Amino acid sequence: MSRPAPVTATATVGPALRAEGIAKAFVSGKVRTQVLDGLTLSIEAGELTLISGPSGCGKSTLLAILSGLQKVDAGRVIALGSELGGLDSRALERFRLLHTGFVFQGFNLFPALTGLEQVELPLHYLGLSGRQARERATQSLDEVGMTPRMHLRPSELSGGEKQRVAIARALAKQPELLFADEPTSALDAANGQTIIDILHRIARTHGTTVLCVSHDPRLIRHADRVLSMEDGRILSDRRPAPPAATPEGTAP
Amino acid sequence: MVALARKTLVYEWRRFLPAILAVGFAGLLQLLQAALVLGIFSSASVYITGSSADLWIGYPGTQSVSLGRPIDPDVEMRLRMDPAVARVEPFYWVDADWRGAHDTGGESVYVTGIDARADGLMFSQALPPALRERLAEPDAVIVDRADVDKLGVTVGDTAVINGHRVRVVGESSGLRALGGVNVVTSLDTARQLDNDPTDLGRPTYLLARLHDPAQADAVAARLRGDKGFGPYDVWTARTFARRSVLYWMLDTGAGAGVVFLAGIVFLVGAVITSQTLMAAVAGSVREYATLNALGVGVGNLRWVVLEQAFWVGAIGLLGATVLGFLLLVAARSQDVPVVLNIPITLLCVVLAMALAAVSGLVAMRSLRRADPASLLR
Ligand SMILES: Nc1ncnc2c1ncn2[C@@H]1O[C@H](COP(=O)(O)OP(=O)(O)OP(=O)(O)O)[C@@H](O)[C@H]1O
Ligand SMILES: [Mg+2]
Repeated sequence: MSRPAPVTATATVGPALRAEGIAKAFVSGKVRTQVLDGLTLSIEAGELTLISGPSGCGKSTLLAILSGLQKVDAGRVIALGSELGGLDSRALERFRLLHTGFVFQGFNLFPALTGLEQVELPLHYLGLSGRQARERATQSLDEVGMTPRMHLRPSELSGGEKQRVAIARALAKQPELLFADEPTSALDAANGQTIIDILHRIARTHGTTVLCVSHDPRLIRHADRVLSMEDGRILSDRRPAPPAATPEGTAP
Repeated sequence: MVALARKTLVYEWRRFLPAILAVGFAGLLQLLQAALVLGIFSSASVYITGSSADLWIGYPGTQSVSLGRPIDPDVEMRLRMDPAVARVEPFYWVDADWRGAHDTGGESVYVTGIDARADGLMFSQALPPALRERLAEPDAVIVDRADVDKLGVTVGDTAVINGHRVRVVGESSGLRALGGVNVVTSLDTARQLDNDPTDLGRPTYLLARLHDPAQADAVAARLRGDKGFGPYDVWTARTFARRSVLYWMLDTGAGAGVVFLAGIVFLVGAVITSQTLMAAVAGSVREYATLNALGVGVGNLRWVVLEQAFWVGAIGLLGATVLGFLLLVAARSQDVPVVLNIPITLLCVVLAMALAAVSGLVAMRSLRRADPASLLR
C-alpha cells in the first residue's frame, strides 16, 4: 500500500483531503502572526497520517482548516471532492455532520450524560431512529472496549476511558474523515497506547482517513505517514516502517 | 432522543437552582400582588357581586357603584314592559354622616337602601334572610362586622345618620366598603335618611332579574336604546362590576402600581434567570462546541438552551403554585382580602413562562463562544 512518492493521488482513489497554497494569519492587536503560508498538502484516504512538530508551529491551525472549522486567508481546501471555501456555515455544519469526526485533547463530554448517551446524542441529529442510534452507539463503544462501562457518567470514568468514549462518539457517525488533536497528551503511557491502537484500527478496519496531530513519539510507529511541521511549513514527509504485525509494505 | 436539556438540568440542578427560584418567586410575587389588589378592589363591586340581579340600570356614564345619581323611577315601567324581565327592584345609595352613640365624632357612611324582603335581589348573597328580615322595622340598620369598632357601636345601640335616629339591628360580614363604611337599611329607611332635596325619593339604581340570565347582553342592548324616560343606562352585572373595580384601580393609581411592580419583578427575574442560564451554558461551552464540530447545527444547540429555559420556568412555576396556594389559604384564614380568578392566574403563568423564554433567548448568546475552532489549539 505504501508508495515512494510523498504527495500523489492513487489512480483509483483521489486524496481524501487536499490543501492548495493555503495561508492563514492571526491578528491580535497590532501583532500579525502568519501561521501558515502557501502550504500545499494531500492526505490519502484510509491512512493514519500523523502531523508532528514543535509547539506553536501551526499544527492545530492546519487541522482546523482541513476539517472546515476555520477559514483560510488564501488557497483552497478540497475535502472528499468538495471545496470547503465554497460552503456557507450551514453547509459546512452539514458536511461535518455527514463526513467528519473529531477527537480533542480535552474529552469534552457532557457531565450529565452516560457514555452511551454521549455517543447517541450526535446520531439523532444525523436522522437515525432511536433504535438505530442505540445500535450504532453500542457497537462503537464495543469497538473501543467500553461496553462494560457505557452506563457510567464522565465523573466515574478515568481519563483514558473518557477519551475512548469521545472516540466512540466520533466513530459512531461512521465518518470518512477523523481528526484528532493531541488525543493522548492528557493520558499516561498505557492509556495513550490504547488510544493509539484504537485510532490505528479505525483507519485499518473502516478505511477511515485519520489525521492526527501529536508529538507523542509512540504514535509514529503506528502511522502510515508522518508529516513534520515547522513554522507553518512541512519539513519532511515520511512513511515509517510498519510494525512487524503488518507484513506488507517497505520503508521509503 | 437523548434529552440533553433535561438530563443536564437534573444532574446539575444546583447550577440551575437560582434560575428556578427566580422564576418561581417572580411568578409568586405577580400572583400574590394580583390577588391582593383584586381582593382589595373587589370590594368596590361587592354591591353587584353580592346581589343576584342580571341587569343594573343607573345614570349614564356612572363609573362605579358608589358614584351613582338618581334616575327617573318611571324607567321601572319600561323595564317591566319587556317580556324578558322577571323582576325589578330599586336600590338607594345615600352618602350620609354618621354619629355614634359614644362620641366618636362624625364618620361618612354609604347608606344602601335595599328591598329587604327575603327574596330581594340586592345583597341576596351577602345578607342571609334572617338578617334581612330585621330591616323591616323602621330605622333599623345593619353595619359590617369589620366596621363596628370604627363606628363605635354594637348590635342594639342607636346612632344618628343625617340627623335621624337609627338602631343597629345586626352585623353583616364581607360588606366592607372602599373609602367609607357601608350601612344597610330598608328602602323606606333610606328614603327618610336622604336629606338631599334634589333626590326627591328617586332611586339611584334599578335592579332587574331576567327569565333567562344568558340573554343579559341582548336585553341590556335593547333596553338601552329607549330615550323616552329621562337619562338612564343599562349594564349587565358583570360589566358594571368590572367597571367599578377598574375605576377604583385606575382612580387610586393602584392599577399603574401593579403594572409597574409587575414590570420590575419581571425585569429582576429575567436578569437573574438569564444570568444563571448563561453561566450554565458557559459551563458546558466546550461540549456544545464539540457537538457543533461534529456537525450539530447552532440552531439545534440554541434549541437545547431554550428547552432548558422552558424546564426552569415549568419547575419554578410548579413551586410557585404550591407555595402560592398555601399562602392564599393562610391569607384567607387571616381575613386578608385576596381574590384570584382564572384569567389573572393564567396571565401570571404566561408572564412567568415569558420571563423564562426571554431569559433563554438571552442565554443563547453565550453559545457564540462555542466556536469549535477554539477546541483546536
Ligand atoms: N485564534 C487565534 N488568535 C491568535 N493567534 C492564534 C490563534 N490560534 C492560533 N494562534 C497562533 O497561531 C500559532 C499556531 O497555533 P497552533 O495552535 O496551530 O499551534 P500548534 O502547532 O498546535 O501548537 P501546540 O503544539 O502547542 O498545540 C501560535 O503562535 C498561536 O499563537
Ligand atoms: Mg495544538
